[in-house]
Amino acid sequence: MASYISALGTLFEPMNFIMLYLCSLVGCVLGAIPGLSGGLGITLILPMTFALSTDLSFAMLIGMYVGGVSGSFIAAVLVGIPGSAASIGTCYDGYPMTKKGKAAKALTIGITGSFIGTMVSILVATLCSTYIADVALMLGPWEYFSLCLMAITMVVGLSNGSIFKGLLAAFFGLWLSTVGADMVTNQLRFTFGNTNLYGGINVICLLMGTFALQQVATSYAKGNLEMPEVEAGSLKGFGLTLKDITDNMKTIVVSLGIGLGIGFLPGMGSGIANLIAYGQAKSMSKHPEEFGTGVDAGVWATEVSNNAGVGGAIIPMIALGIPGDATTVLLMSAMTIHGLQAGPMFIKNNPDLANLIFAAVLVSAILIFITELFTKRWFPMLLKAPYHYLYSAILMICFLGAYSASTSMFSVYLVLVFGAIGILMEFFKMPGTPLMLAFILGSKIESYFRMGCSYAKGDITSFVTRPISLILLLIALWSVVGPLIGKLLRSRKAGGK
Amino acid sequence: MKKINRTYVMGVFFILFALWVLWQTTMIPERLVSNEPGPKLFPYISAFGMILMAVISMVFDGKRETAENKEGAAPYLDQAGVKRLVLIMAECLVFCIAMNYIGFWITSMAGMMVFIMTLRAEKKINLIFAVVLSVALGSVCYFGFTRGFHIPLPKGALWTALGVKML
Repeated sequence: MASYISALGTLFEPMNFIMLYLCSLVGCVLGAIPGLSGGLGITLILPMTFALSTDLSFAMLIGMYVGGVSGSFIAAVLVGIPGSAASIGTCYDGYPMTKKGKAAKALTIGITGSFIGTMVSILVATLCSTYIADVALMLGPWEYFSLCLMAITMVVGLSNGSIFKGLLAAFFGLWLSTVGADMVTNQLRFTFGNTNLYGGINVICLLMGTFALQQVATSYAKGNLEMPEVEAGSLKGFGLTLKDITDNMKTIVVSLGIGLGIGFLPGMGSGIANLIAYGQAKSMSKHPEEFGTGVDAGVWATEVSNNAGVGGAIIPMIALGIPGDATTVLLMSAMTIHGLQAGPMFIKNNPDLANLIFAAVLVSAILIFITELFTKRWFPMLLKAPYHYLYSAILMICFLGAYSASTSMFSVYLVLVFGAIGILMEFFKMPGTPLMLAFILGSKIESYFRMGCSYAKGDITSFVTRPISLILLLIALWSVVGPLIGKLLRSRKAGGK
Repeated sequence: MKKINRTYVMGVFFILFALWVLWQTTMIPERLVSNEPGPKLFPYISAFGMILMAVISMVFDGKRETAENKEGAAPYLDQAGVKRLVLIMAECLVFCIAMNYIGFWITSMAGMMVFIMTLRAEKKINLIFAVVLSVALGSVCYFGFTRGFHIPLPKGALWTALGVKML
């Protein structure tokens, strides 16, 4: 508790507080603009954090994360286009509400739902993470290897498109993680005498290339730089009463549980949580036929669940060193850059920073809630942001970030290479998240596997003879095989009919 | 015009790449340390994994894509889109080269302006605002990083060769 209060004190230091607030706002704006996201914001400010204190860096990064998820409902409600995958479900009822002239109510539900989701989930994360980390400390390299493998296969199993292409991307990411000096024997692998590669591929270059550059280049090439006109109707007034909240309490509580649970599972972020919560709210409703026509419960369900995913995703990142979603992959990269090792020892070794992360989410959620409530009548302006200015700045910051990450031109060219790879992957319809996750977890997987073999005197069966490791491996296997079997059964059923 | 099957292209590309990885992996000297599998294992796993997944994907996804192509699936990019993609990537390449030779400050300002002019497509823009934004953002980034964060940025090999001292 003392450490948490101390973390709150650190956050309220003027510089930390101002930057947390600013980044929360920027994240909110990025989240609101379709095609951009808080994750992109994190990627762009990562290089800036090299020169900043760890506290300030994480205040900024967390602000961007929370703002990004929170702001994504704005475009979904006002123009029917989700700011990110986290708000796909919000379009179903949020936009019809706007068309009915209830934009103010839909936005207030979005703002309040986001706040409730983030607040409750981060409180749960704060309370539970220590216990989960304690349990995780009892595990050995065998279990960690299986856990990391499970994280990757779950992402592959849930990624859009073909599972085989997802696995292909994951194997490619795994190979990328082997470039550089081997951690056990210090043997150089795939460096070709280039000293810039001895330390491995810089994660910033991979992120800037496959995430930012690819997005800007393909959006421009496809001509996706226009937004439809906003049909905001009346945006005056609060638009929500206490009765509206109490009437939807059941939906809120269930969506919270769904968001937390799904956020906790590796790879299943807010993008999936909001759709499952929407489906659940519809099935619980007495009038499911009204869903899709502008029902309050639809917006409550999606916005509470996707924001609850924030706390849910932070738990495995802090306690296990496994990212819960694509954005926490970036936060884990930030930890690595600052010389920190995410995992069960993180809370023990860095209690102040762990609490600072929890507190930053809480403070950021409160700041965003207050700001959004008072500024919601100006939300349509956010969607008028000219893409040509935004994207130009993003491109410039990409190359600046890559250079500052290693003060070498090699990294800048590497961004171009990864940008091209990102474009090729999109062309091949390969999902990008398995590549990123396999790259981040690749070195961990390799070191745990080799440690496990070494401890067991070369006995590879120890990975399946230890019960927890075996269970995790079976889940890993099922997360890939399960969807395939499901698909096969569905196609047989359809063929039979 | 016959559409190319992207999955087949992907499969061939990754099989060739994985074969190259396998060949390179054989050249890594083996230094075994206490019962552990050595530095070659994971490159081998990733290469074999890539080959296996590429083949399976070609068999299953490739077949589906052929059917989709016959039904008239939309192409990834039209001809104008390909031109736009090549243009923006070429501009990025020039930006990187220029960054090395004329330094980050000048490149960022000029590059920003070029990017704005390209990305605006057919839209009309306020030229003065675009120039001011390019100069301001380029300068803020350059001086913010070099003076504020003490992170050195390229000053330009050309100026160094000419003996011109840049800020």
